[in-house]
Parts: sequence; C-alpha cells; structure tokens
Amino acid sequence: MKKRIGSLLLSTTMLLGVLAGCSSEAGTKTTEADVKESVATTSTNLEAEKTLESNQSQSTSAGTKEATITFWHSMGGVNGEAIQFLVDKFNEENTNGITVLAEYQGSYDDAINKLKSAQIGNMGADLVQIYDIGTRFMIDSGWVVPMQELIDADSYDITQIEPNIAAYYTIDNKLYSMPFNSSTPILYYNKAIFDKAGITSIPTSFSEIESISSQLMKEGGASEAIALGIYGWFFEQFICKQQLNYVNNDNGRSDAATSVEFDFNGGALNIVKAWKALAEKGYAPNVGRGGDNAITEFSAGKAAMTLGSTASLKQILTDVDGAFEVGTAYFPKIKDTDKGGVSIGGGSLWALNNQDDAKKMATWEFIKFLVSPQSQAYWNAQTGYFPITTKAQEEQVFKDNIEKYPQFMTAIDQLHDSSPSCAGALLSVFPEARQIVETEIENMINGLHNEEEAVAKMATDINRAIEEYNLLNYE
Amino acid sequence: MMKNRIVKFFAPYTYLVPSLLIFGIFLFFPFFKTIYLSLYKTNKMGQAKLFVGLGNYMELFQSKSFYNSIVVTIIFVLISVCVSMLIGLLAAMLCNKSLPGIRFFSTAYALPMAIASSSAAIVFKIMLNPSVGIMNKLLRLNVNWINDPKYALICVALLTAWLNSGINFLYFSAGLSNIDETIYERASVDGANEWQKFRRLTLPGLSPILFYTLVVNIIQAFQSFGQVKILTQGGPGESTNLIVYSIYRDAFFNFRFGSAAAQSVLLFIIIMTLTLLMFRLEKRGVSY
Amino acid sequence: MEEIQRLSPNKITIEQLDKLRIDMNQRAKRRKTIKQISLLFLNVTVALIILFPLFYAMSLAIMPSGEVFSTEFNLIAKNPTLENFKQALTKIPLARFVLNSFLVALSITFGQMISCSFAAFTFSFQEFKGKKVIFMLVMATMMVPGEATIISNYLTVSSFGWLNSYKVLIIPYLTSAMGIFLFRQFYMTFPMSLYEAAKLDGCSNIRFIVRILLPLTKSAIGAMAVYTFINAWNMYMWPLLVTGNNQMRTVQIGISMLDSVDSQSITMMIAGVVMIILPSITIFIVGQKQLVRGMFSGAVKG
Repeated sequence: MKKRIGSLLLSTTMLLGVLAGCSSEAGTKTTEADVKESVATTSTNLEAEKTLESNQSQSTSAGTKEATITFWHSMGGVNGEAIQFLVDKFNEENTNGITVLAEYQGSYDDAINKLKSAQIGNMGADLVQIYDIGTRFMIDSGWVVPMQELIDADSYDITQIEPNIAAYYTIDNKLYSMPFNSSTPILYYNKAIFDKAGITSIPTSFSEIESISSQLMKEGGASEAIALGIYGWFFEQFICKQQLNYVNNDNGRSDAATSVEFDFNGGALNIVKAWKALAEKGYAPNVGRGGDNAITEFSAGKAAMTLGSTASLKQILTDVDGAFEVGTAYFPKIKDTDKGGVSIGGGSLWALNNQDDAKKMATWEFIKFLVSPQSQAYWNAQTGYFPITTKAQEEQVFKDNIEKYPQFMTAIDQLHDSSPSCAGALLSVFPEARQIVETEIENMINGLHNEEEAVAKMATDINRAIEEYNLLNYE
Repeated sequence: MMKNRIVKFFAPYTYLVPSLLIFGIFLFFPFFKTIYLSLYKTNKMGQAKLFVGLGNYMELFQSKSFYNSIVVTIIFVLISVCVSMLIGLLAAMLCNKSLPGIRFFSTAYALPMAIASSSAAIVFKIMLNPSVGIMNKLLRLNVNWINDPKYALICVALLTAWLNSGINFLYFSAGLSNIDETIYERASVDGANEWQKFRRLTLPGLSPILFYTLVVNIIQAFQSFGQVKILTQGGPGESTNLIVYSIYRDAFFNFRFGSAAAQSVLLFIIIMTLTLLMFRLEKRGVSY
Repeated sequence: MEEIQRLSPNKITIEQLDKLRIDMNQRAKRRKTIKQISLLFLNVTVALIILFPLFYAMSLAIMPSGEVFSTEFNLIAKNPTLENFKQALTKIPLARFVLNSFLVALSITFGQMISCSFAAFTFSFQEFKGKKVIFMLVMATMMVPGEATIISNYLTVSSFGWLNSYKVLIIPYLTSAMGIFLFRQFYMTFPMSLYEAAKLDGCSNIRFIVRILLPLTKSAIGAMAVYTFINAWNMYMWPLLVTGNNQMRTVQIGISMLDSVDSQSITMMIAGVVMIILPSITIFIVGQKQLVRGMFSGAVKG
C-alpha cells in the first residue's frame, strides 16, 4: 500500500519533470558538438602519427645507409633507463644516419606474446629482446636472421664475446642471437649472521648448507637458514651443476627435444630430495614462487642465505641499506661430488627478417654498438648484468664498479669457472615446463606428494606438453 | 502510411545500432572464432592445425586440473561476491544517514574502485609478506598468507572483495537514494524496529539494484585475473588456479590455444547458465 | 515511563509535568546523539579498515627501501623521502601517459553513457521483436573472457590499420553490457505512464532520454561514469598490444615500466602506483559533489 503511494508520488513529480524537460530545446546539441570535436582532435593526432611513419619509411627507402629501425625490449626501471641512454647515445653518435626507436613492450612474457600477434599481423620490429627460455621458439619461428650471418658478413671477431655466454645461444656452431642482458644465479649470504654463528666457511653444496643450518638459526639468530625461492630457473641450474641433461637430444641442442631426461638420469630426484630435506627441518620454509620473495626474506635479515640472480646485487644492497654485510658465493651444488657449472639466464637480441637489407645492416650496426666494450662496461655498471664482451673488463667504468661492488667478482669468476658444455637446455615448451616444475615442488613441500611422485608428475606433464607441441609444430 | 509503419517497426532497433555494432565486431566475431578454434588443436602461433571435434572438451572433462580450477573458481566467486556485497551494503547503509563527515566517509568507501587490480596486488603482496608485511606485524601472527594453500585463495578472494566493494557501495547508495524516505518515517510511527524496516522496506526497495549488483559481481568475479597473476600465479600448487588464469596460461604460454578456447567456451556456458538462473529468480524476487 | 508510574497521578502538578516533558525530550535527544555517535564510530572503523591498504601504500611510497625490508613495525615512515617519486619520474614520461589515459578514459566514458542509455531506453520502454533474445545477447557479451578475444581483436584492428592511435584504444570500448544493464535496471523502476505522458506531450524519444531519463538517473549515471572512467584508466593488456611507443602509451603500462626484472625496486613501483591513483582520487573528490548530491538527495526527488 505504502509503496503504491510512494510510486504515485514519484510519477507525479516525474511528470512535472517531463513538462519542464520538453519545454527547453537546447542541451543535446552542445553535447553532440563535443563528441565531434573530440573525434576531430583524435583523428588529427592520428594523421600526425601517420605522416610521421610514412616519413620514416620514405627516408629508409631513399638512402641505402640511412634507416630507422625499431627495437623492442622488456627492460623497465633502472635497466630501461640504461637502455634508453645507450640508444640515445647511438642515435647521436652513429655517422650512417641510423635512427633506433626503442620501444618497451612489457615483461618478457608480454613481449613474446606481442611478437607472436604482431608477426601474424605483419607489424613487427627489426630487433627484439627475448628471454632465454624463448630461444627454441625463436629458432623454430623462421622469423629471424641468425646472428651468425650478420657476424660472418662483417667478419666480426666473435672471440670477443664471453664463450660461456655465447654457448647458450649457439646451436650447430651458429650463434643465433646476440647475448645482451645475461646473468647467473649466485648464493647471497648475511655475513653478520655467519659471524655470530661462528661459521667461516661458506657452504658450496646442499649437504654443507644442511650441516650448518641449525647453527645459523640457533646461534646466528636467523629465522631460516636459506630462503629458497621456488623458481624453475634454479631447478635447471641444479641439473647443470650435476652435469646432466634436462631433455634428450643433447639437451635439445642437436635436435628438438622429444622428452625430458631428468627423471631417468636421476638429476631431478637428487634435487627434490635435497630440497625436501631442508624444507622438512625448517631450514628452508616455503617462501613462494620466483626469486623475489626469497630475496625479500634475505634483505629483511631473516634468512642467512638466499639464491638469486647476479643482477639483483645492487637492489639487494639498496634494500639492505647497510643493516648487515652482504657476501656472495658460488651457486651451491646438490651433492658434494658435482662438478658442473652454471648456465646463463636473461635475455638476448634477435634480428628479425623484414626483407630489407638497409634495415638489416642498420640493426647489425646497432648490435655492434651495444656489445662494444664501452657500452657493455656502462651496461654492467648500471644494471649488474654481465659485460658480455671480455674487453669490457679493461674499461675504467668496469674497474670502478668492481671496486664499489667487490661481490660482483664472484659472478665473473663463477662464469669463467663454468665450461661451455654447461650451456643449459633448449626446449620449446620451457615456459610451461617451468610452471610444472614449480607447481610440483610446491606440492611436494606442502606434503601432497613424496619426492618420487613429484618427479614422476613433472616428467609426465612436461612430456605430454612436448609431445603435443612437436606433433603440431614439426612436420 | 506504410512507410510510417516501417519506421515504427525499425525505430526501436536504431537505438541499439551503436552498441550492437561494437559488440558484433569486437565480441561476437572473435568469440565465434574462439568457438571454431576450440574444435582444433592449434600450432604455436595459435592457428587451427588439426581438427579434433570435441577432443579439447573431452580432454578437459578428463583432466583433474580442470575440475580443480572449477572448484577453486566457485569458492573464489562465493567468497569474493558475498564479502564485497556485504561491505558495499554495510557502507551504503552507514552512509545513508545524515552524519558529520559523510562526504569523507563516502569517498573512503568508494575509493578502492580507483585502483587497478594489478596495482592493488602489488600493494597486497608486500602487505601480506610474512616477514616484512604489515599484516603479520599488526596481528602478531606468523602466517605465510600467500604461500600457504590454506590461505592463498582466501587472500586473493578478499583482495577482490576489497577492490569491488567500492563500486558496490556506489550502486547501493544510488539504490538507497531512490527509496522514498517518508516510508521509513511512517514505519517508525507504526512502531517498526530497525530490522523490520530493513527487511520490509529497504531490501524490497533495493531489490532491482541488488539483483543487478549480484549478477554483475558474479560475472566479474568469474573473470578476475590481474590479482592472481601478480599475487600467486595460480599457486601454491594449483590452489588459486582460477579458470581464467588457466585460460591465460594455455593461450599465451603453453601453446594450447585450442584448449584455452575450449575452456573459454565452457566458462561462458557456466556463467550464462548461472545468469539465466538468476534472471529466472528475478521474476520472483525483484519488485520494480 | 517508570517515573510516570512512580508518581501517582493525583499528585502531579503542572510544574512537574513540564519538567517531565523536558526530561523526556532531552532523553530522546540524548538517545539520538548516542545513536549518532555510535554510527559515527562505526563509520570511522569501517572507513579505517577500507582505507588501510591505501594508507599503507602511501606510507611505503615515501619510505627508503631499507626501511621497508625490515622486520620492525613500519606502518609509518620514519625517514620520509620523495626519492622514490623522483626516481619513478625520471624513468617514465608520466605526464604524457596521464594525458593519454585521460583522453582515452574520458572519451570512453562519454561514449558509453550515450550508447548505453540509448540501448537501455529501448530495452525498457519499447516493444519490438526479439527483445528478449537481443537483451540476452547483450548480457552474454559480459561473459566472454577477454583472453579469448584479445588476439583476434588485435588482428581485426591491425587489418583496419588502426594500430598506434587513440581510436584503437577508444572505439572497442564505446559500449558495455554492464552499463546497458544498469540503466535498464533503473529505467525499469519508472512507470510506463511516464513515457506515455511524454509522448502525448510531443516529446521525441531522444529528447525523452536526454531531458528526462538522464536527469532522473543522475546517481546511476554518476556511479557508472566513475566506474567506466576508472576501468578505462586501468586498462593494461589491450593498450600494450595495440600501441607501440610512448606517444600512445597509458598509465598502467607506465607501472610495468618501473619494474626491472632481477632488480625490482618495490618502493619505486609503489610510488608509481600512488602517483597514478592520485588522478583517479582527484576525479573522485572533484566529481564527488555531483556524485554525492545525486546520490543522497535522491535522484528521483532532485
């Protein structure tokens, strides 16, 4: 009843509104004009963009040497700033009239997905930065000009490139892409906790870590001995350390891999057993996926040790802010008898085949600039990635940087102590494989599976993915 | 005369043209493509390669991981929708009275909607960090919020509830303002207590907007994605592997666009069924 | 009440009665005050809980990172610094991104209000063949996961030659099922007689929408406009895919540009997050007068 009265009231007030509304005519027109205006401004902007683009393409076809190339990268933050500096420097200094447009394309994952879509739509870049685990995909894609072709055409001396870094991107003695931002994982430790616990020798293997853990926690005051991020990259490195293969066909290097090997060569089981042992005793609690969370634990002073990329050094020092001294050591072995080294991670530069020789040459000039000793020394000092050119170590910038961050020397030594035979695996479905490995390690730590089940599940899931991929993508 | 009738017949459609045109190009067309792709195995470029009929669907129905995703998604939707609607409703009721500082409060309640899900996830990631996060420090707990399968899903759901509570507050406030105040006064004179007023007056008056909010919240909760990507990446194990996240992984990383397409179609069917059910209920429960 | 019973009726004087009346009035007033205070208290509590993550974010943004990575209680920055903001600003052209996002979000909001109110008008006040089916089709668009359509849409717009432009960011979003649905819900509360009266009065449909429906649903429009604007402000995947360079990029991409792999600076990223929330909060506070007035005066009466 009440409601009806209410709605009656409502409709009368509204009827009054109707009359008022209909008596005036203006109002709509102005809004329409607004729309038109905003559309107009948008389209003029567009025209401007277009003319800009057509100007660029004209200048490309006009001169043989002059060219504008587009460079897609995934470097944000400090890394992005450094890359922009190098690009600007190149644009200013080069005498061939080459202009490089550096465009950030999101994270590594975003960039490779954008590349996939762009290549179908035929709007691509000339040079693109891709992460390590996208290597097999890029080789198979058929979009790239192998770096070796450019190197040979220019008779460039490839021995300048660190052989252990180049090895990762070399298949059939052909360098496919130019390493650019390369890093390896190392062990970071909290010197204050180690001193307090009275431990002087830094562990080199999981068994050594296990033996000092309780001392670090009881006497050193650490809440956890090691913050061990559940990160597929570490798992791959542990396999390298054991000098075993991740997948068959020589780690996917002589031919596309058809199945994993880590299950029957025992590599994976060793890893998950050692991992579980640390986790069960509370030495290495679950700190989550990826490397970031573990580093947070370490920087907060709760963990005595952690594993992380060499490129994280500077940020760790910033975050620790002098609260304790940070030490670095080699990435640990699984068993004391392991003799292998580490392989690199990070990204590399891929030249895309756009059927345009002028652009191809311009791209090569730009790459040469990026890997020059000066550029690499600058890049290393700013970002903490390896200088991939050996001569960069003679640059003053490099020497100053090492003096400032002596911990970085560990990374260089570790790289030189490894051999190119520890190049690491190539696998088309690597992004998925990593996710599977991480999921299963998590399930194991949370007690859903035992060690053997975890390895078996990893192997079946990855093998199924490989099988399906190969069936659909190789004739 | 004839012309007039034709105009009259088509006139209603003309108002729909702009919307339907955009929906047609950017939603229906790609979605039909998705349905088509769901019948194929795709190559690494996401192009149809091998016709498998309902093969992708059969695989999903045999996959433990897919059932897990469905269960996880349903729990997630339940928690996030209930909590965000409750917060929104509570805030709107609290704010509906004349109080000093009402402007401040209404801004505060609406603010969570100003934040992108990925930005919020970055903040929550630190907030919930077991060592440096403020959550454990405030509550004097030592809970591994995001990495413990017991809490991870709840955390993601509560984050989503927080994010959506802002817009729900606005909807409910808009709804409440459309209820005639005088009916409350009359009810007070008749001796109705607060609960009775809420039950008999507020809820029915709010029912159209309540219905709208419920439908929209459920549909959107099914599609939440950014927070999972940043906070948990589907983990620990598969405890937060929502269907949409699984679609994203399969479509963009796992070279299985066909399977992702099939999951999209199934997700669509699930949401559609639920919505149709809700519209059936609308006829009974909602008074316009 | 008890007092009345205690005083026997024959003994009541006029003064006593007056005193009693004042007393009761005061008590009612006091009860009202208590109610107000408890309501205020409740409001403060709820607001504090809801605002907490935001406050924490602001606090993190002005902390040096050494203070964040500590197990000590650190809700409030001890050594506040603007360094994080400075750092973030040197890394991204934020002003340009804000401008782009603003233009795009504004156009989308404006377009949606028009297209949605037109469509909702038809669904609520017009009779036509296939109304139910078309409405269900519209609703269905909400249920299509974006991940399933984004690549296909990319190919569509690139075949139109739209890449790297404002229109590619705007046009696909010029309508939304949510908006249509929301407006329909509001229009349905109006009696049909309203429309009929307007028709009799010689009001055309468009004028009916613009002069009558729009003013009457101010609050819904306000809520929807804010929501649409902020959603457009928060777009990430689509702008990333369809734009190439910083000229066309939007604010959310800016945030991801602050994230450097392997050496993530949390404080700088949060400073970035805070900076791009600020414009949306400002919109709120500026638009709030309209919004709140529309909402609390009651759309229908106002």
